[in-house]
Formats: sequence, structure tokens, C-alpha cells
Amino acid sequence: MSMQPYLLAAEGLNKSFSGFQAIRDLNFALQKGELRTVIGPNGAGKTTFLDLITGRTKPDSGTLHFEQTHDLLKMNEYQIYRLGIGRKFQTPTVYTDHSVKENLLLSLAGSRGIWHSLFGKVTKEQEDRMEEILHTIKLTERAYSKAGSLAHGQKQWLEIGMLLAQDAKLLLVDEPAAGMTDEETHRTGELLLSLAGKHTIVVIEHDMTFVRQISQGRIVTVLHQGKVLCEGAVDKVQNDERVIEVYLGRKKKAA
Amino acid sequence: MRLASPDKWIRWSRKVLYLWAVLPLLLPVLRAQTSAARPAREIIAEAIVTEDTDKQKELVASLAGADPDEVTYWFAKWKEGEIYTHQDDAGTSTAVTLEGGPDAEEKYALATVAAGKPLSAADGVAIRATKDDLYLADTDSGLRKVMKGVTDRLALSSADVAKRLRAVEDTGFEQDPAKLPLLEDLLKSEQNGKVKAALTQAIAITKLRSEDLAVRKAAVEELGKMGSIASQDTIKTVKSEAEAAGQTELADSCNRALSEIAAHISRVNTAGTLFRGISLGSILLVVAMGLAITFGLMGVINMAHGELIAVGAYTTYLVQNLFSTGIHMSPFGLKIDIPGMNLSGTGWDCYFLVAIPASFLAAAGVGLLLERGIIRFLYKRPLESLLATWGVSMVMQQLFRMIFGANNVQVGSPSFLSGNWTVNDVIFGWNRVFVIAFAGLIIFLTWAVLTKTPLGLLIRAVMQNRSMAACMGVRTQRVNMMTFAFGSGLAGLAGAFLSQLGNVGPNLGQNYIVDSFMTVVVGGVGNIMGTVISAIGIGMSDQSLQQTLGDPVTGKILVLGAIILFLQWKPSGLFATRSRSLD
Amino acid sequence: MNTPLAGKTPTILLAALALFLVVVMPALNASGAISDFTLNTWGKYLCYAILAIAVDFLWGYTGLLCLGQALFFSLGGYMLGMHLMLMIGKLGQYKSDLPDFMVFLGYKDLPGFWKPFYSFPFASAMVLLVPGLLAGIFGYLAFRSRIKGVYFSILTQALTYGAALMFFRNEFKMGGNNGFTDFRFILGADIRAEDTKRMLYIASAVALVLIFMGCRWLTKSRFGLIQRAIRDSENRVLFSGYSAANFKLFIFVISGVIAAIGGALYVPQVGIINPSEMWMDKSLEAVVWVAVGGRGTLYGPILGAIVVNYLKSWATTEFPDYWLIIMGASFVVVVLFMPKGLVGLPGQIRELMAGRQRRRIAAAEDELLTSAAKTK
Repeated sequence: MSMQPYLLAAEGLNKSFSGFQAIRDLNFALQKGELRTVIGPNGAGKTTFLDLITGRTKPDSGTLHFEQTHDLLKMNEYQIYRLGIGRKFQTPTVYTDHSVKENLLLSLAGSRGIWHSLFGKVTKEQEDRMEEILHTIKLTERAYSKAGSLAHGQKQWLEIGMLLAQDAKLLLVDEPAAGMTDEETHRTGELLLSLAGKHTIVVIEHDMTFVRQISQGRIVTVLHQGKVLCEGAVDKVQNDERVIEVYLGRKKKAA
Repeated sequence: MRLASPDKWIRWSRKVLYLWAVLPLLLPVLRAQTSAARPAREIIAEAIVTEDTDKQKELVASLAGADPDEVTYWFAKWKEGEIYTHQDDAGTSTAVTLEGGPDAEEKYALATVAAGKPLSAADGVAIRATKDDLYLADTDSGLRKVMKGVTDRLALSSADVAKRLRAVEDTGFEQDPAKLPLLEDLLKSEQNGKVKAALTQAIAITKLRSEDLAVRKAAVEELGKMGSIASQDTIKTVKSEAEAAGQTELADSCNRALSEIAAHISRVNTAGTLFRGISLGSILLVVAMGLAITFGLMGVINMAHGELIAVGAYTTYLVQNLFSTGIHMSPFGLKIDIPGMNLSGTGWDCYFLVAIPASFLAAAGVGLLLERGIIRFLYKRPLESLLATWGVSMVMQQLFRMIFGANNVQVGSPSFLSGNWTVNDVIFGWNRVFVIAFAGLIIFLTWAVLTKTPLGLLIRAVMQNRSMAACMGVRTQRVNMMTFAFGSGLAGLAGAFLSQLGNVGPNLGQNYIVDSFMTVVVGGVGNIMGTVISAIGIGMSDQSLQQTLGDPVTGKILVLGAIILFLQWKPSGLFATRSRSLD
Repeated sequence: MNTPLAGKTPTILLAALALFLVVVMPALNASGAISDFTLNTWGKYLCYAILAIAVDFLWGYTGLLCLGQALFFSLGGYMLGMHLMLMIGKLGQYKSDLPDFMVFLGYKDLPGFWKPFYSFPFASAMVLLVPGLLAGIFGYLAFRSRIKGVYFSILTQALTYGAALMFFRNEFKMGGNNGFTDFRFILGADIRAEDTKRMLYIASAVALVLIFMGCRWLTKSRFGLIQRAIRDSENRVLFSGYSAANFKLFIFVISGVIAAIGGALYVPQVGIINPSEMWMDKSLEAVVWVAVGGRGTLYGPILGAIVVNYLKSWATTEFPDYWLIIMGASFVVVVLFMPKGLVGLPGQIRELMAGRQRRRIAAAEDELLTSAAKTK
């Protein structure tokens, strides 16, 4: 692994919600071009971690830097977005009253100012890009349907498409496979794999088949009680005793 | 059946207090009366016919220990020329009054002053006389002065604390050095603290006229220490005299005293503002408590909340009428005549105790209808519930106008709410004290209902997550209904209290709606304790701004501005976001 | 840009309506077919329609229910009113250069901030600037601290309340309780003359048409997409990199200025402006027009403003006691049963019919199936 500077670096993060310590002294580093999968039992702090990165909540203590120079803790949601950090929420969050294409249009990379929104024209390249994305997420035929009328899986895809339109440097993907059929899940995995390398991606997931599909020897991070329990390849992680105890072990006991 | 009403209790306790205060005072008076052994009117009758003016004055002066009412009554008649003297053939004069009207010969029946019996001649025949046959019993200035002295003296020992207090104050302002010994004498025997203080003050004020510079200076200093507001003007006079006469030391004392008094006044004002602030806060709180439930807990913007307050106020009005002359109205061409109970005094005072639960139930009933009829369809659309309930508020206001008339209706205060206490120059109106106590009670009740009853548990469960609660088998519909009715009922209670503090009219609720919404928002929505704190806070700042600016409207505007700025500083309590999914 | 979801409203019909309002109505009035009173009343309605568009631009398109839009409307009216007051000259009751109310209150000199209002261009600029500035400051504070939904409504209500209290005070030097009235001249013309009134009507109609077109353009641009995105999912907009607060502020200011233009045209036509015009229920009334007409469309508010005010003037003369009840009740009905207002009614009916038809078909199918089963 080359010793590139970290794209995202978190040190000593702490966050508690009225007494509940969601994130506990968390250290996390991500290199450019990585596809990192984060797993962990419910309440391990996975979604809270994404909230901290995207500016949705602020930590009680710790540091969080993007590309070394940008202190994410001093920025708000849309400023962080403009750095090139995109997020797909766990429950699909699209503009339900807008058409699929309008959803993409709103997410296209470019100026986010009022002036531009009034007078900016959609260029040929942007049109082409939208068509391309529509093709990628297999929604070309639904381009002019209201996003609210899409099926659950299609909404998930649209939201991923919105991340693509944004051309984000760092994609944070929260449980992309949730509520999808096996076939859809597999296709989602392939989509993410095709993006790996071009983008840096963090995927949070429960579905171990899916995790196996996308990690392919890449690093998997296990979160437990708000801190990193262990990191490594998926096989190594799955055989780690601590992980089995806190995460997979429960299944054994139940059985 | 008779209820033991609080006002009765208050009155009794007051009587007992008076008795303790007055008892020692009465003793010397009683002694004086027994030693005189003659009724006042006899002495007055004797005085009237006494030719010797000195003797006459002496007789009048001897009345200083007699029954004040009787003395005042006869003195008044004497001074106003309603007493005559009748001289019989033997030359004996008798003081008489004219009885009834004149007959055909312009003659009147006569009654003796001494006993009030018809004046009869030796043969027992009642004497009748024309005015010309009688001599008018006149008074000269000397005599009138003595009489004044007697009445003053009598007032100073009046059994009624309030009268006594006023007499002491009046005497002080006369600044008659001749009365000093009397006042000092009274101070020795006085037991009531307030009267004692007034006496000390009156003595000091009188001493301001003293010839002796040192005495005057001591008096000024004493008044300063007392923070005597009443003496302020007199001290100013003394000061300007002292300055004119070049008595710098005295003038300095005066300045010191005046600034001490000014400090006292500002302390009194601050205390008064504090009190009014708390009481205004309590009113806001009573009004906002209902909103804190319907808006804060249920998230329903009920613009008709103000009209629910008016429902409570009008209910109070109706109950009051039921206790007096009855309800006579003809709304929509219907004639409603409900005979009243024609009570007065304590019986009538009790109406308010009936009105409290009645106004709660009436407003809760209206709230129930509102929830069933409209609001339950709009739980997911808060902005639209705002609009629909505004429509309801328009309808209700017009209904009030049609039923009760566009003008304000009169709601009287029961006697136990219409007095005040004055402690150290600070006035505490009973109605305000009552509102504060009542607000406390409402907080306690709401808190108890929400935390200590099964209903409260259900309410909290439903308010946190309607669908989850429904899944767990909670009958959310019913809980919503009860919660809304409870909140509405609290609005009705607020109405009952507002009826005691101001006018009751169709627009009553409108005046409070903005304030109470602000109270809930500032307090943090869904947080009862926050509502309490913000109500008191807003009430206090409103009152203190009013005092410093001397203008209620600017104060109000500033408070609104301050609230907007406050929300800049602390909006987070209001907008807790959940994670995982947005919105 | 051309949005895929372009409105299906026939542009020709709208153009015809605009032509009717701007040209035909005044022409009919000049020829005597429409009375001056009717034209004046319609002039008022059109100003209300402008106010309604302002409310809808905020509420229908952005989801911000402002209960203070009447404040901006009145502020616009007050700004022009100041100019009109100064134009009375010595024709007032007290034959003084000062406005009557100032003489009455014992002022000797015109307060400094009144002086520039002798100039019509200055007053016109203030019509736009003052409400715009107020909206800017308030909006900045409110949106910066992410106040939204009902909290925004309540705060705007408080703002209006505070402002009305201020205008009610004589010390504010804006005419107190009675406000401004007895106007004489506007741009040198007698304000009570027929021709002037017709011109004022035409000005209102033109303003309405321009504002309509402007808002239509705005709502159909990418800006409009963001606007509706804020309405539907404000938090998501942040995660699409847009500063929702800036957009909302811009929208709030525009809406305030639109309302102010309506107010400035309204005041010379009715000849009076006082603080009761900015009282809270006036703002709510404007919201009613929008709800009745149909929010989230631009012609809905215009329709609502005209229909409701027409109904109001009819009901206040026919049923003076009951009109508030009629208004209030019809409002409740609209909110409960016609969420899309009058404009959405045809669609609602169509849906209802379609639903019935679907049910009928389903029932017929069921029957067919059961009968088929029986025959088996």
C-alpha cells in the first residue's frame, strides 16, 4: 500500500447523546481511492459517524480533517458537501415531488449559488452526463416520472445516481442494500466496485454476503460501542474472536 | 348546604387579628367611658345650653374618650345648624332637634338631644314650636377648634385600624406641635405595628416644625432612616428653608434623608415590579400551559386557543349571573331565561368557586368537539391545522358577539379577590397573589397528570411516537382527544382568571395568543418546565422594561425583539433532529 | 431553461386574461359599460391578488408560511402614503404644510426622515427598499438559526404584532391610530378624478401581470426546483450542497417586495392606510385567499383573492352578522376537503370519478370471477 496522505482522518472523536456514548474515542483514517466497508452491530455508532463527517452533528471532542487542510468540524452541511463529500442516507432520501431527472439536475456538480440557479444554462456535457447516469442506474425510462413513484430499490439507485452526478471525491454510502432483492443487491455491489478507484468510498453494511462481494480483500472496519474494534480483510475479521463475540457470536448463542 | 368558603375564612381570620390588635387599645377607652358614665349625647346637650364658653369647651373636650360615632354624628348636626335650644317658661334651656315636617302652622315636633324623647311641658303635653320660637345652637371658631380636636383624638383611638392609620397620618401632616404629647402618648399604648410606624413618622414630621434646630435635624434623619415616602415634600420644604437660613448642616441632613427616601422608593418600585412581573408571568403561564399541551406536546397549532380562553371567561360570566339575577339572553331569536339565585355577599362570592371547574369543563368540551371535528384530520399537517383553527376562531368570535353582544360584559370580583396587602409600602393585590398561587397549582396539576397518572404515561407515549403507540395497542384516538381536551380546559381556567383582571369581550383571547405562543416557543416546545421559566422570564422583562421606559408598548416591542434574538442564541432546544433518515 | 415538468396551463388563455384585465376592463369603464365603483373595486382585488402571489411564492412554493405578509403590504402602502401626505400641501384641515396629524399632535417642523418623501422617485424606491430591508434582516436572523415550519409562522406573527403596536403609537410619527388619509394628488393628478383612478387600476393590472410573469419565470427555472426542494425536504437540500438559508432569504425578500408593491398600489386607490391593515388577521386573510384559490400554483392565489373578496363584499352587505361565520366555516371546509383549493377541484373530482370507476370495474371483475367459479 502506498503511503499517500490520508483523504479523511478522524482522531479521538467523542459524541454522546444525553448520556449515551455513541462515539467513543474513535480513530479512523482513509486513503484516497479506497473502498472501505464498515460493519458493526446495531448501535455501534456507524450512522452517527457519518453524521459527524457530513456535519449533521458536531462531536463533543476530537478532530476530523479532509485532505489534511479542511477542518470539517468548522464547516456546515453544505460547505462539507461542496468539498466533495457526498452521502447516501440509509432510508432513501430523494426529492419525491421532482422528476428523476430533476433530482439528478439538482445534484450535478457546479455552482450552488442563487445567481447560477436563475441564469445558469444546462450544458450539453451536463445533459450527456445525466443521460449516462440514468443509464448506469437503469432509470432512463423513468427519467420524467416523479421520484416518489419509484420502487424502494430504484430510489436507492437514484440516490446513488445523485452521488455520481455530484462527482464527489468521497462517497459515504449508508446501507445501500437495505430493502433490495438479491439481484438488485448484487447489481448495487457491482456498481460500487466499478466506482472504486475513481472515487473513495465508505460503505456501511449489515448484509455479509454483500460485504464479501464488495470488499474482495479490501479493508473492513468493525465498529463496536463507538470505537474501532478491529480492521482487516473480511476473512480475518470474520475469524477474529472479539468480532465473533460482539457481532457474529450472538447468532451462535441464539442457535 | 353551606360551603366553607375561603373568603369567609379570610374574613374570620382577619377579625381575629383585629381583635388581638385592638383589645389592649380598647381598655383605656372603655375605662374613660365608664368614668364619664354618661352617654355622649347628654354631655353634648349640656354643652349646647351652657352659656359659659369656657365651661362649654371643657364639656366638649371631655368627650375625647366617648363613642366616636355618636360624637361625630352630633358634632355634625351642631355645626350644620340642625340643633336648637328651647326655653321653657321657667327659663330652662333644652337642646332639641326638629322632628318630621312642619304642620299647617309651621310648627314642628321637638325631640331632646339628651335622650331623643319628645320634649314635653310640665303637664306632659308634647311641645310644638315654630323655628322662630327656638334659638339656633350656633358654634364659634374657638368651639369648632375644640370639636375638631376631639374628633381627631377620637379618630386616633378608633377601633378600626385603617381609620386610625389615616387619622395618624393626617395628624402628622398638620405638623401641630401641640399634638406631640398626644401622639407620643398614643405611641406608648399602640400595639399595631403599622400604626406604630405611622405614629413614629407622624411624630417626626411634626417635629420638623420644631423651633429647636437639633430636634429638627434629628427628625429629618429619622425620617430618612425610615424611608418615609410621605414626608418627602415636607423635608424638601425644610431643606429649602434651611438653605435660605444658611443652616448647612440641616440642609445636608435633608439631602441625605431625601436620597435615602429615594433609594427606598426605588426599592419599593423594584419589589413592586418584581411582584407584577411574577403575576404577569403567572397569567402568561396559565394561558400558555394549555398551549404547552396542545402545541408543545401534540404539535397542534390551535389558533382558536384564544377563543377557548374566552369560553372560560364567558362561562365565569354566566355562572356569576346565575348566582345573582339569572341569565336573560336572546341569541339567534331564542329567548333564554334562567332565573338566578339572587345571592349577595358571601353567597355571591362563592360563584367564583363554581366558575373555576365550570370554565374548565366548558372549554374542555369545546376543545373536544374541535378535536373530533377538525383537528384529528390534520395531525400530519400542522400548518393546515393552524389555518383551519383560525377559521374556527373567526366563527367563535362572531358567535360570542351574537350571543353576548359586541361589548365587554361585566364580571365582578368576589370580595376575597378585590383587596390588597401593603407590606413596607409595596402593594400586593389579592387577585394577583391569587393568580400566582393558582399558576403554581396548575403547574403542579399538569405535572402530576403527566407524570403520575396512567393517562400521563399514555399521553407521553402517544406524543413521542403516534404510530408506535398505536402498534402497542394504545388507543391513540382517545388519548389525543383527552390530551386536547385537557389543554383546552386549561385555557378555560385561564379565561376564568382573566375575567378577574380585565375586560371580558369577544376579542379577549386575541390579546394573549401571540404572547402565549412566544412563551411556549421560548420555553422549548414540549417542555413544561421550560414553559414555566419562559413565562416568568417574559413577564418579568415585560414589567421591568415597562418600568424603566415608562411605556408599555415600547416595552412589549422590545420583548418581542429580544425573543427573536434569544432564538438566535438558543434555537437548538427546539429543533432536535433524529438521525438515520432525514426530517 | 426548459423544465421537463413544464406547466400545462395554456399560455394563450393566460395572455387573453391579462389583456382583458389590462386593456378591456379600463376601456369598458371609459365607455361607461363598467361603473367607476366596479373598476375601483377590481383595482383593489388586483392589489390583493399581488399580495396573494407574495404569500403563495413563500408558502405554496417554498413551504414558509409567513403570517406577516400584510406587514410588508402595509409598509409599501405607508411609504407611498408618506409621499401622498406631503402632496396634500396646504389643502389639509389645518391649512398647514405639515400633514394634519402632525399639526394635531403639535409638531412644528417636519421630522427629518419625512423630508425626502417629497420626491416621488424616492418614495417609490422606499416602497421597495424598506420592506425588502426588513424582510432581509428578519429573514437573516430567522433562517440563520434554522427556524422553520410553525416556528417561523409564529415568529412572523410576533414580528407583525410588534410592528403594528409600533405604528399605533403617535410617537412613531406615522399617524398613529388613524394612519394616513385625505390624499389629494398623485404625480400632480387629482387622486379622486376618474382618469386617475383608471390609471391606478391599469397600473395595478400591469403590475399583477408583470409579477405573475416574473414569478412564473422564477418558479420554472432551476431556482424553482430548489425552491420546491426546500419545501419538500429542506435537510436534503443541505446535503445537495445548497445553502437553504440563502435561498430562503432571497425568496423571503422577493416576496416581501412583491407584497409591498401591492400595498403601494392599494393605498392610493382606497385612499387610506392605518395600522389595522397590518394586524395579524389581515395576513391570515391573505393566506386564506391562497388556500382557497390553490397554493403551489400562480393563478390559484389570484383566483382566491378575487373570489374570497367578492364573496366577502357580497356577504358583508347581505348577511352582516353571519359573514365571519360563513368565511370561517368555508375556510375550515377548504382546508379539510380541498387541500388543493379551487384550482385543484377539477382534478379532485376527476380522481373521485376515476376511483369510483375503478371500483366499479373491480366489482364487475369480482362478479365475473365468482360467476365463473360457480359455473365451474
